[in-house]
Amino acid sequence: MKISRKNSAVAFAVGAMVIASATGCAPGSGNASAPVSASHSAVSKDVAAAGKVTLTVWDQNTDGGINAAQKKLNSEFEAKYPNVTINRVSRTFSDLKTTLKLALSSNTPPDVIQANQGYPDMGTFVQAGMLQDVNRYADAYGWNSRYPSALLDLNRFTPDGKTWHTGNLFGVSQTGEMVGVYYNKTLLSKLGLKAPTTLDELQSDMAAAKAAGVQALSFGNAEKTPGIHIFGTIQDATAGKKAVRDLVFNTGGKWTDPSTVSAAKTLADWTAKGYVSSGSSGVSQDAAAAAFGKGQSLFLVQGTWELATLDQALGKQVGFTVLNDPTSGQPATMGGEGLAWAVTGKAKQPDVAAAYIDFITNANASQVLVDTGNLPAVPPADWAPKTGSLEADIAAQWKKLNAADGLTPYLDYTTPTFFDTLTARAQNLIAGQDSPDAFTQALQTDYAAFQAKK
Amino acid sequence: MTTTATRPKTNRASKTPGWRNHREHKSRIQWKGYLYVLPALIVFMAFLGVPLLQTAWYSLWDWNGLSAATWAGVANYAEIFTDPGLLGGFAHVGILIIFYALIPVSLALVLTVLMSRAARMRGASLFRSLLFLPQVVPTVVIASVWVSIYAPNGLLNQVIAVFGVHDPATAWLGTISTALPAVGMIGTWLGIGLCLVLFVSGVSSIPTELYESARLDGAGAVREFFSITLPGLRGHIAVALTLTATTALKSFDIVYVTTRGGPGTATTVPAYEIYNRAFGTNQVGSAAAIAIVLTAFILVITVAISKIQPKEPQE
Amino acid sequence: MRITRREKLLNYLVLCLFTAVTLVPLIGVLLSALTPRDQSGPGFTVPDRLDFGNFVTAWNEGNFSSYLTSSVIVTTATVAITMVLAVPAAFAFARFKFPGSKVIFFVILIGLMIPEEAFIIPLYYNLRGAGLTDSYWSLILPQAAWSLGFTIFWMRNYFLSFPGTIIEAARLDGAADRKILWHVLLPSARPAITTACLLVAMWTWNEFLMPLVMINSESMRTAPLALAFFKGQHITDYSLLAAAGTLIALPIVLLYLVMQRHFIAGMLSGAVKG
Repeated sequence: MKISRKNSAVAFAVGAMVIASATGCAPGSGNASAPVSASHSAVSKDVAAAGKVTLTVWDQNTDGGINAAQKKLNSEFEAKYPNVTINRVSRTFSDLKTTLKLALSSNTPPDVIQANQGYPDMGTFVQAGMLQDVNRYADAYGWNSRYPSALLDLNRFTPDGKTWHTGNLFGVSQTGEMVGVYYNKTLLSKLGLKAPTTLDELQSDMAAAKAAGVQALSFGNAEKTPGIHIFGTIQDATAGKKAVRDLVFNTGGKWTDPSTVSAAKTLADWTAKGYVSSGSSGVSQDAAAAAFGKGQSLFLVQGTWELATLDQALGKQVGFTVLNDPTSGQPATMGGEGLAWAVTGKAKQPDVAAAYIDFITNANASQVLVDTGNLPAVPPADWAPKTGSLEADIAAQWKKLNAADGLTPYLDYTTPTFFDTLTARAQNLIAGQDSPDAFTQALQTDYAAFQAKK
Repeated sequence: MTTTATRPKTNRASKTPGWRNHREHKSRIQWKGYLYVLPALIVFMAFLGVPLLQTAWYSLWDWNGLSAATWAGVANYAEIFTDPGLLGGFAHVGILIIFYALIPVSLALVLTVLMSRAARMRGASLFRSLLFLPQVVPTVVIASVWVSIYAPNGLLNQVIAVFGVHDPATAWLGTISTALPAVGMIGTWLGIGLCLVLFVSGVSSIPTELYESARLDGAGAVREFFSITLPGLRGHIAVALTLTATTALKSFDIVYVTTRGGPGTATTVPAYEIYNRAFGTNQVGSAAAIAIVLTAFILVITVAISKIQPKEPQE
Repeated sequence: MRITRREKLLNYLVLCLFTAVTLVPLIGVLLSALTPRDQSGPGFTVPDRLDFGNFVTAWNEGNFSSYLTSSVIVTTATVAITMVLAVPAAFAFARFKFPGSKVIFFVILIGLMIPEEAFIIPLYYNLRGAGLTDSYWSLILPQAAWSLGFTIFWMRNYFLSFPGTIIEAARLDGAADRKILWHVLLPSARPAITTACLLVAMWTWNEFLMPLVMINSESMRTAPLALAFFKGQHITDYSLLAAAGTLIALPIVLLYLVMQRHFIAGMLSGAVKG
């Protein structure tokens, strides 16, 4: 059907009238969300007295071992407090990341969430009043003495959400994390090699593997986060922990500094040599871990969250090592703690939410985590896994790393947009689309823009 | 405005003298018409019309979705035309249109010529319903299916291996040079059946006498195609192009499930960028501006395609 | 004109080839869904035994009974509301003469052309302000509004094509307009209405972005979205994923197989939405 020109003009006029009436003011001026009141009532630790409560919890504990731990802890909590029902929503890290902000800004947000530290997520949420500070709960439950201050600081923000690493506490973590190098002991001894402790050793091992026709590394980057881990591992072993911390905490340095450029060159070199496949962006990290688990490759650069999966797949054949800081010769690698468990701004029963968070992070929880093949943020004092097991390797490395103060923060914390910039650019670098210089320049541009705004 | 539509055959009846003509005899205004239309109009305006206009309004502001906005004028639009990332997204859509619309339509045309009168064959309706099946399967399911087809040890590499090419298995969706064409091929697969069904049924409505007399005149296959088949199918081609091209422009769910814009920024599309900016990275005004440009894009393409369509008698 | 044997053969060959290309991925999913989990992979494999247990596992692990229920509720309500609003409006556009009718018709038709990205951002903030997000209404009402364009266009065409003499006869019998719509037009409009219902149902069932934006509660999520999240968690569990995909596609595919004539007729006639 045809509509005449005149009719279209009328329609346009009607439209213009409607727009004038419907949108008389600037977006956001009418519905500015009320800031969370600063004064909290006294903390009650008595969950049983809270009446019937449904606690909606969004977590990212979907991997085998941690999922088992979470299920167990949730049912223990429900058994202890029959008046509480836990409505658990579990998503992968990337699905959680894409949906969490929408959920938090809705009228019916979850009560407890796992928020990624740093500027992209936690900073944004704090700025928008979507999270409550948990200082009062930290006092009530003794969180400040439970965790080392380095771990607590990762979960701190100023109340305006503009400065990370200081100010109010916005959550505590359940698991400890470190990214390191898993190796296949059988393949390693067949090749006459030993577990690497420096970047050079790792590279010469990979070269030897390649020469012998063994796949050096399994790497899948479809989720985009593994790109952070592999680059960060190289960067820690090239630039050292101090330089990396300065960059991520915004306390100095540039992403275009020679040591970081050199790290980027190493990663590009790994693609050129075929250690990292240029199609890795189409392989999921689970698939890469599965391939390593089937004994198809010598190394896997991944975090300790793969512990349960790999332990199940390879048993005593798999080991775990961390590379050394080039300056100190002590182990240094990316990690720290899992996503922070936080209480949302609109949580109906913040006291119950905090009690729940305490329950899944306390000493009993640590034991459950260890039993199900996970690394707790604060491992039990008597944790002594069987010698020769993957767990024993990880326990030993974790102790050594903490003793040497060797944890460096995840790189994506750096600026609000750094996650997107870093992950997309790392995929480009690995595909040979970006040169190491272009890669580091893109990171620096993002970094500089954020610092200029601050 | 013109909607590209093959009209239901029954529509011819409206041209016959009848109640419509009768209505036009008496020129009194039937106010109750508003009563019938009003409920639909209210729902439409509340949930679509007004939000659409608000999008245009939002696009003029710099708003993070949380606090009050500041006036941005056309800055958000300027960004679209200067930011290489955003321009890239629109360029990707251009390529997707080739895969979603142009390839299936041309391929289906060639096939239709090959089988000019297939519509009258036995079993035609069975083929028709099978070819049409992908249209009704949820896009999310289709996208997940193709994710496994494109996997390094998936069906596509299996097929290639059968032909003896011993390349290291390609991760089609994870390689920068192949990701966008791979997403595009999903659209080609989606579109080809639709176009075939459309054209085959279209050809069957071209009077056979036209072909017979052309053959008597000694016309070859090529001339037959250009002088009879192609003009006869103009309306169907327009519908096919509109359906497939707009699918390409709205490819949010396929990109969300297959690549999320990666690897790098190889498969970013405006539809995904709108979601990401509006609900992910707090750039609501910019997202609204992209939405407006995307909508304008779709309207322009729809109108352009409608020009192919044979003129219809005025109602 | 006769069709030669050779031509016929060629026709079948072409049709078979392209039907095969169309069906292989879909059959692949079905096979994969029936493959025991320990044998499953992303490739095309013929399992040595059929394992229906994947459906049970996917159903239980993925909590699909709840998601499918949500989908059924949202789809049914959207179709009902769309039809209740669209039929009288289409009738009026076809039957009554009132100022601005063409303009209003044109405005509602916009719904046929525009992408949902064009209105979903303010819609989200409006609905959130009204406390409607995270409810079935936040899916039903916008999708009904969006479907009005096609449905009114489609039903109006039908009402226009209805033989005028019959209406005249009813009118001479003294029937009011409402009666004519209800007793004369609607009974014979069943095929047209069925087509409209089916298409709106399909669009609503398959919708992805709207529930992604509007819904947080797991209990109100619709099936396609649930599949996307399920996929993230079971990325290497190909059989389970295929089973879950089959489960959520099944209702709409079954509907299609039973009523395909309506689907095809509707889709080919100006359904530019999708």
